[in-house]
Formats: sequence, C-alpha cells, structure tokens
Amino acid sequence: MTAKKSGSRLETEIERCRSEGQWDKIPELVRQLSAKLISNGLCLEKVPAASPTEREQEIITCYEKSGDIALLYLQEAEKVCVSGIQNRSPKPGPTSQDQELGYFLETGLQRAHVIHFKNGNLTQGVGRFREILRAVETRTTQNLRMTIARQLAEILLRGMCEQSYWSPVEDPPTVSPLDDPTRQGHVQSKKYSLSRRPRLFKTIYCQCCNENTEEALLLLLISESMANRDAVLSRIPEHNNDRIISLQSASVVYDLLTIALGRRGQYEMLSECLERAMKFAFEEFHLWYQLALSLMAAGKSARAVKVLKECIRLKPDDPTIPLLAVKLCIGPLHWLDEGECFAKMVIDMGEKAAEFRAKGHLAIGLVYSLKATDASLRSTQEEYQRKALGAFQRAQSLSPTDHLAAFYLALQLAVSRQIPEALGYVRQALQLQGDDVHSLHLLALLLSAQKHYQDGLNIIEMALSEYPENFNLLYTKVKLESMCRGSEEALLTCKHMLQIWKSFYNLTNPSDSGRGSSLLDRAVADRRQLNAMTLPDFSDPDTGSVHATSIAASRVEQALSEVASSLQSSAPKHGPLHPWLTLAQIWLHAAEVYIGMSKPAEASACTQEAANLFPTSHNVLFMRGQIAELRGNIDEAKRWYEEALSINPTHVKTMQRLGLILHQLQRYSLSEKVLRDAVQVNSTAHDVWNSLGEVLQAQGNAAAATECFLTALELEASSPILPFTIIPRAL
Amino acid sequence: IELQCRPTLLPAFQTLPDSAVSAYAALLKDKGALVPALYKVIRENYSELLEPVCHQLFEFYRSGEPQLQRFTLQFLPELLWSLLSVSAARDPHTSGCIEALLLGIYNLEIVDKDGQSKVLSFTVPSLSKPSVYHEPSAIGSMALTEGALANHGLSRVVYSGPLLQRENFTAQNRFEVLTFLLLCYNAALSYMSSTSLQSLCQISSRVCICGYPRQQIRRYKGMSTRMTVTSEFLVQLLTGIHYAWCNGEAELGSKALDDVLYRAQLELFPEALLVGNAIKSTQQGAALKSNTKEGARSIQVEITPTASRISRNAVTSLSIRGHRWKRHVDLGSPDELMDISEADEGLWPGGMAPDITPPTITISNSVTTLNLGAKAMKMCRLGGRGSKEKETSPLPAGRAASESAEASVKRLTLTSSQSVPKAGTLTSLTRTASAVFSRSFEQVAAGSAPPSSTHAAPEAGHYSCSLQEEGTGYLNHTQRSPSISVHLGSDL
Repeated sequence: MTAKKSGSRLETEIERCRSEGQWDKIPELVRQLSAKLISNGLCLEKVPAASPTEREQEIITCYEKSGDIALLYLQEAEKVCVSGIQNRSPKPGPTSQDQELGYFLETGLQRAHVIHFKNGNLTQGVGRFREILRAVETRTTQNLRMTIARQLAEILLRGMCEQSYWSPVEDPPTVSPLDDPTRQGHVQSKKYSLSRRPRLFKTIYCQCCNENTEEALLLLLISESMANRDAVLSRIPEHNNDRIISLQSASVVYDLLTIALGRRGQYEMLSECLERAMKFAFEEFHLWYQLALSLMAAGKSARAVKVLKECIRLKPDDPTIPLLAVKLCIGPLHWLDEGECFAKMVIDMGEKAAEFRAKGHLAIGLVYSLKATDASLRSTQEEYQRKALGAFQRAQSLSPTDHLAAFYLALQLAVSRQIPEALGYVRQALQLQGDDVHSLHLLALLLSAQKHYQDGLNIIEMALSEYPENFNLLYTKVKLESMCRGSEEALLTCKHMLQIWKSFYNLTNPSDSGRGSSLLDRAVADRRQLNAMTLPDFSDPDTGSVHATSIAASRVEQALSEVASSLQSSAPKHGPLHPWLTLAQIWLHAAEVYIGMSKPAEASACTQEAANLFPTSHNVLFMRGQIAELRGNIDEAKRWYEEALSINPTHVKTMQRLGLILHQLQRYSLSEKVLRDAVQVNSTAHDVWNSLGEVLQAQGNAAAATECFLTALELEASSPILPFTIIPRAL
Repeated sequence: IELQCRPTLLPAFQTLPDSAVSAYAALLKDKGALVPALYKVIRENYSELLEPVCHQLFEFYRSGEPQLQRFTLQFLPELLWSLLSVSAARDPHTSGCIEALLLGIYNLEIVDKDGQSKVLSFTVPSLSKPSVYHEPSAIGSMALTEGALANHGLSRVVYSGPLLQRENFTAQNRFEVLTFLLLCYNAALSYMSSTSLQSLCQISSRVCICGYPRQQIRRYKGMSTRMTVTSEFLVQLLTGIHYAWCNGEAELGSKALDDVLYRAQLELFPEALLVGNAIKSTQQGAALKSNTKEGARSIQVEITPTASRISRNAVTSLSIRGHRWKRHVDLGSPDELMDISEADEGLWPGGMAPDITPPTITISNSVTTLNLGAKAMKMCRLGGRGSKEKETSPLPAGRAASESAEASVKRLTLTSSQSVPKAGTLTSLTRTASAVFSRSFEQVAAGSAPPSSTHAAPEAGHYSCSLQEEGTGYLNHTQRSPSISVHLGSDL
C-alpha cells in the first residue's frame, strides 16, 4: 500500500515539474516511479495469493504501467536532449548514445508480455508487443525494439495463421484459438489510467498489414535494418565475440525473412535481402548457401553459380552444392565446361556422395550429351555421345529405381539411333514413373522412328490426356496428324493450341508486365526485357571486354533463336518471354501445315503473325523462304534462306533447302559445299544426305552419290518425325 | 459405435435451416469420437462409407460456415495422402470421391462470394513508407541501391491467380491444385487439431521418402513407388510442418522437416531447400529453450537483455558509415570531397541534393570543454543508475570528463573523417582530420591507455567529434535545421 501511495505521490510531483518547466527533473522522477512499480510487480509474483487470477491481473497491471511510463520517460528524455542541442544551450541532457536501459526499465518493458505468453494468453501478449512497438522510438529503445520486433515476427510466423490474424489497428478477437482454452474468458481491458501515454507512430496514411506474413515481414525488415547496422566488420581476434553476437542476431532475422518471403514466393526480394547479409558472411556457410539458393530461386543463375563456388569451398563434402551448380550450368546458363567441372566434383567424392553418386553420373552424362549436340565436328560429336552413353549407363546401374537415369539412357540411345534398345529403356522408365511426360513423348517419337505413326499418335493422345496444356506434345501431335490423318486434322490441333494458349496466358494476373493492348506492343516490351534479362548473364569479367561484348551480341541472338526453335519446357513460369515464344511457335507450325497443303497465302499470313513477335528469328525467315519456294520464286527463297543462315549459320533445314535451290540453279560445287557443311552439323539428317547424293550425281560422281543415297536410306529407316533433341534435357 | 451413429448424424445436416448451421457446427465439435472414426474411414480407402463421408464433408465445406469448413479441412492431409498414394499406384478408379471432394473444395476456394475468380494479393511492405511501427526517416541505413531507388515510394503488391476451374485431376494440374489446397489449410492452421497436424507431418514424411533409400530407415512399409512432387508443394508443406513443430509436435515436426529437406536435396529444389534450411537453423537455436514443455501448444518468450552487447570499439557498419578512407583523404579538391560524402550511403534516405556536405561543421565551434565536462557528468550519473553496478554517488567531475574523453576517443576511431574542429580551407581541414584520425586509430589499435589530460589540444578535437555524432543523429532524425545549412554555405 505504501508503495502505491508513494507511486501516486511521484506522479503528482512529475506533473508539478512539468507545469513548472523543470524538465531536467522529470526523467529522474519517472525513472523512480517505474522502478517502484516494477519492484511492486516482482514482489507480488513472489507472494503466494489466495485468488490467482486477480493477483495475476494486478501483477500485469504493474508491469504494463511501468513499461508505459518507461517509454514515456525515454521519449521525454530524448526530447529534452534534442531541444538542448537545438537551442545550442549548454543544458546537458543524457547522452543518448551511451545510454542503456537499466535493469528495471528492461524488466518493465518485457515482463508483461512474458507473463502473458507463459499463461498461454497469446492474444494479449501480441497486443502488448504491438503497444511497445508502436511507441515512437528513441535512441535508447532501439536495441529493445530490434529484439521485440524479431520476437513478434517469430510469433506471427510460428503461432498464427491468416484466419486467426488481426491487424494491429484493429481490436483483438474476443475468442481466439491462439489462447489456452482453459484460461479464456478473462480478457480484461486496461485497468489503470495514465495521464499521459507514450507517443505512438501516426497511423494515418500508413501502410497497414492484412495478414500475418505481411506484418511479420514489415517487422523483420525493421529489425534487419537495425541488425545490419550492428554488423561487426573488424576481424581482429579481440572482436571475435562481438562478431559472433552480431552474426547470431542477424542470422535469426535473415532466417525468419526467408521463411516469410518463401511462403509468398518472393525470391527476388529475398535475394536482395540476403545480399545485404553478406557483410556478416565471411566464412559463414549458412549465409552463403542461403544466398546462393535465393539467387537460384530468383532466376539469377550466373551469380548463383559464383556464390555456389564459394559454398563448395566452405563445405567441400556436400554433393548437393555442385549438383545445384550443374543444374544451373546445363539449364538456363548453358555453361557446359563449368558444368563438367562441377559434375566431376560429385563423381570424385565417390562413396561419400552416397545417393548423390548416381546423380553425379547423370549430370555429367547430360553435359556430354549437350556438348555432343553443340559440337560441330563429327568426331567430337561421336566422342561425346559415347561418353554420355557411358555415364548414363553408370547412373542407371547405380540407381536402378531412378526413372530419370533410365529415361536419359533411352534418350541418348535414341539420339544415336539405337531404336530398339532405346525402346527397352524408355519402357523401364515408364514402369518406374508412369506419368512422366518426357518418357511418354520419347516413346511416341521412337514409335514414329519405327514408322508406327498411328501407335505414336495414340501414345501422344494418351499423354495429352494427362498433360493437356503441354505444347511440346502438341507440336508432335500436329506432325503426326498431318502424317496419318491429313492436314485438316492437324490444322484443328493448331487451332486448339491457340485456344489453350489464350486461356492459359490471358488469365495472367495484374502483376505481369506486358500491359500493351495489341500483341505487337507486348512483344516489343518483352524483347526489351529479354535484353535486360540475358545480357548481364553473358558479360563475363574474366574474358577481355571487347571479346566479351561480341560474344554477348552473338549469344543473345543465338539465345533468342535457339529458345524459339527448341522450346525448352511447357511450364508457364519461364519468365515473361516464354508465352510469346510459344505463340510464335504455334503460328509457325500452322504455317508449315499450310505449306504441306500447298496454300501459300494462308501460310504467309501465319508466318506474318510469328514475324510480328520475332522478326529476326531464323525460323521465321526459313518459313518465308519455303513459302517463296512454294510460289516458285527461287531467287527470293534463296535470299530468305541466306538471311536465315546469317542469323543461325548451323540451321540444318535451311542449309538443306539452300543446297537444293543451288542445285536447281546448277551451282553444283557451292551446293555441295553447303550440304557438306550441313552433314557436318548434323550427320543424322537423312534428307541432307539425299540432297547431297543428288548433287554429287549431277556432278557425275556416281560412286560418292551411291554412298550418300545408301546412308540416307539407312538413316531414314530410323528417323523420328521430329528430332529427339526437342525433348528438354535438364537435371 | 460411432460409426453406426455417424450416418444418422451427418445427413441430418442437409435438412437444417440456415440459422441452425452454427449450432450444428458447435455440436459437431463436441462429438469426440467422430473425428477418429472419420480418419479411419478415409485411411481404409476401400470402405463403402467413404463416398457418403466425402459427400458430407463437401456439403460442410459448401455451407460457408467457417467452423464447418475447418472441420472438413482438418482431414486434408489424410485426403492428400490417399489421392497421391492411389495415383502413384496407378489405380485410378478407387479415389473418385476423394478427387471430387478435393476438386470441389478447390473450385469453391478460387472464386469469391459472387462467383468471380479470386485474385490473392500480398503487399510487400516497404521501409520507405511510414507504418504503425516505424518512420522512414528513423531508419538511416537503407542501402541506396539501384533497386531500392527504383522501388522508392512504391508499395509492391504481388498477385496470384486467377486460377482456372478444374474438372479433373491430370498429372499436369495435380500439384497446382494440391498446392493451392495446402495454402487454404495453412491459412487455418491455428484451428487445426493436433491430430491433423500430426497427420500432416506424417504424410509429408511419407510423400518425400517413399521409394528412396531413407524409407528403410524410417521403417515405413505400405508404398514403395516414388511420388513426384514440386518445389512449391514442398514449400507449402514446410509452412505447416513449421507450425506443427512450434506448437507441440516437435518430434514429428523435426522428422518431417528432415525428410522434406532430404527430398529437396535429391530433387535439387532451391525453393524448398531455402525455406527448409531457414526453419532448421532457427529451430536449432530454439530447441534448447522449448524442450521444457513438450506437447504444450504454446509459444514462449523470455526476457532478453537488449543492451548492445557489442563492445564500443569494434568497427561496425554504423560506426564505419561516416568514415572516409585514407586514400580519399589525400585528395585535395573540394569537388572530390563532395563525391565522397555522396558515396556515404544512406545517411539521408530522402535522397538529398548531392551538393550539401554533412552539416556538422558548425556545431563543433560552439562547444567548449567546460560544457562537455558537465554534460559528461550528467551522463555518468544517469547511466550509472541504470547499470547493474548501481553506482550511487556521482563521480568527481574530472574523472567523469576523462572517462567521456576515453569514450569519445574510442568512438572517434573511424568517424573522425567528419571531424572538422576549426574553420579553414577544406584542404587543410582534411589534413588535420586525417592526422587526428590516424593518431587515434593507432592509439586504439595498440591498446594504449587513453590520455589522462582533458585539456590537450588534440582532445579538444575529440570532444567536438562526439558532439557531432549526436548532431548528425538528431539531424538524421528530424529535418535539418536551416541555420546550419546557411552556415555551411558560407564555409564553402
């Protein structure tokens, strides 16, 4: 009782000082008052009580009141100090920088919510947290705010869900699943009154939070900005402990940020946040690894690989890290040499890599397989194909239950035209994973290579019932239909594809970029994005600058056309460019069908649609050449083909058509040269061999011509309706 | 016994008037034995009761009454498992009613009350706008990156959806639908019973390890074919597992987390690895604390000492912010100096004009040593009360002053670049500054004793520094006062 009395005496004294303008006395008095209240609370906790709920309420009131007073005091104290500086008066205020919360203030500010949580009263605990955080900060409370913001974020992420959340500006729900049900029912409002309360942040025009993840994110960003400031940068041994402390407090914040942003898929923002954590990250594996993963998830592949290299240095025994790097190298980056290095790291781990050993062999097999496709010399091609086959066989024997190993083995066998063996392995893959889209696609292509077109079509239709929106399958379907059901059916499928495309991408949400109304506008905007997107990935600081730019220029072109020609995968999340590539591809397929029906006008219209999207694509130019040929304009066709080749010098189909035209123009030696080049690029194209044979025959070289014809005949027997390489290869 | 009573209990719902729905929901909650009985029906897979049960659960969901919807949702993990295990076993006809139930819930959830497609939005908070918890001006250390500038003042809203209505499950849309259903489940996590959370953890483990070598370690028999998963699906599972772990299911939760991480590693999913690693790392710190109360569904906090535990003389990002490196100091011309001050990132987040050097120069002139001594005394007195040593008597003035000198020497070490004790040409100023800087730095680095005299010339410089810091702090906090910038203009 005496304590209470003196408490109120202190309060009146404070008011007196305020009215008399004795500002320098107030802080001291307030401090005394709040200390008094806290010791009250502490004593009450120790004394056994007859009615626990009442006692509890009393205790909490003590703490909450003292906490509020403490906040008020700190705010006033800072005001005094600030005005002291403003007036340039020598009036001394407490030097805030050096000031720390004393034991009493700290207890007063924290004890109340600790008790709430101990009692299972989450709603009130969160409410108290928010009250403290909403008070305008002072220099002294910064550390406290950082801790409390983190704790509240932790609670929001761990103990709440969207449905049980209430916003900080709303009243808490009266009944909540968050509270301990045995104690529910005595949710009291504040019993004490204070003449003045701590100043709060203004709530007008401010961002508000609609769900727990949003509030947690806001709190974490605040906490992060403070934790970041305390990063200890000096590396001298005396500061080791400081460094560990600052690292720990920061890495908790970053982990929580990862959880919050990961839930909402905001990996781009996450990678930016984690990049700020790098000042803590020297020799810290966890932070490096998280940064690498976030970069990977955000699609910043080139940087991710660089960070992964550092991770490998820090933890050389973990096979996952080099495998992640290989995944990026053979996927979006197409850095095959680097990929080979990473894959070899996994293989060199041997037994230590355990379940990842098979993955390592699979990875290196994929690298070799892709290298074989890229190689321009036949001997290197065959060398890589042999190596790839060996690696896939190894992977398959190491992990016989992995459908991917069996599937890639089948694919590699198919590429080297060992059709029956490939069929065996693809069946095995399908037994392991019955609804794998790539295995089904490969099976259909293999059947078409054996000229069982109808069976192939059946397989494709079956696969389409499981993957109705897979454009890769639909392209094959168009080809097969025009082969065995006539062009009309194929055209219907093209129309169907356009409908799917529309329903798929017209539903795009407002956060997507392309806002232009006409297709053309969008495509232009998209291309700009493509440049911004791909260019940084190609600029390699290691190579000379002049060289790098020229490489970059050609590779952007290449990327644009390559992606366009061999659509990687049908998943609609490959960036904003993807839909337009798909659309262009659909139009080109339709054009091809029309060409097959000898309808140049319609084919030309379709090609024009594709050209609106990608005017410089070699596929568009090739198609224009074909239309010109169909119309009988040999010279125009030749011009188009030459243009297509200037963009993509290794486009075999164009080379073959150009060779034929040159043959018609009776420029035999040039035609022979073009066709021989084409054979170098792709030695399995039977129609090129056939054309080469014709040219050689016209030149009178009968023996060589016969050989070419025989090769063509042999290859034709095993040629699929579309090249096997349209099936994407990725880890 | 309950099984018999169930068919009589559940259909009664259909005849209820709307007003009685919530009362019915409350009644349902009290039927303790009903939930386990329903679990049994769903797990059996071939039970003839499955179809009426699924139908009834869907009716509950369609009623729109939150309690009834949650009643249905609590079975979601088990339903997911049935669907996945059946489709992995390629036995498509047995799970028809479960498929219908799940698709029904999905199709209800993707539209709003008027039948329009729902677009979920998520506002990414930004520190550059005020909120209930902060004011942008107080947070000085925002990195002035290109990205930050591009997003300045914009609050980003991320949308997801609208999603397509689905009439059947295909291999292509299966995980899209299931991921969305898990999102709905996660939105109601607090209302889920511990049985439901346990089953979530168990099915997460099973989905991830079936057909992989780890299955033997977990001794789970029943399925041995591998199930395909997607990264997003695993991330949603992880959200639920995280909640379960923190709310009484520590053992199952940690097992499930390990299994999901194992699978994410094998599949090389960066998203799932990222979130899983983060959960694991936060949990490693917390495991020690929360072990005391196993099984309790509550979260505890403790009083955390918040005083900065980082020693003063450690170089931190904050203390280094104003620092000008030595090679810059030697640059003579004012232009270059301004460049440097521009490069000091983030002191004025509002994007102030580049041609204003830090307005601290003038303040130092007005401060005398005498004032400082008194001020330091006051500080010691105030600080002393609060600290645990409980120093009761104020220190003698001389000692206090020397202590404050020590403190400011330490703080000075890297901020001295801003210290400009006397007016003069900028070049000479910088030279002084660099001299002071290097001297004091050496002192601290060598660990020599702080100077005892408070009247020596270099120390005067130190005092002004410590005051300047306050000055910047203040200026940082509110608007710069106009008088100072006028001064500056004349200086330049």
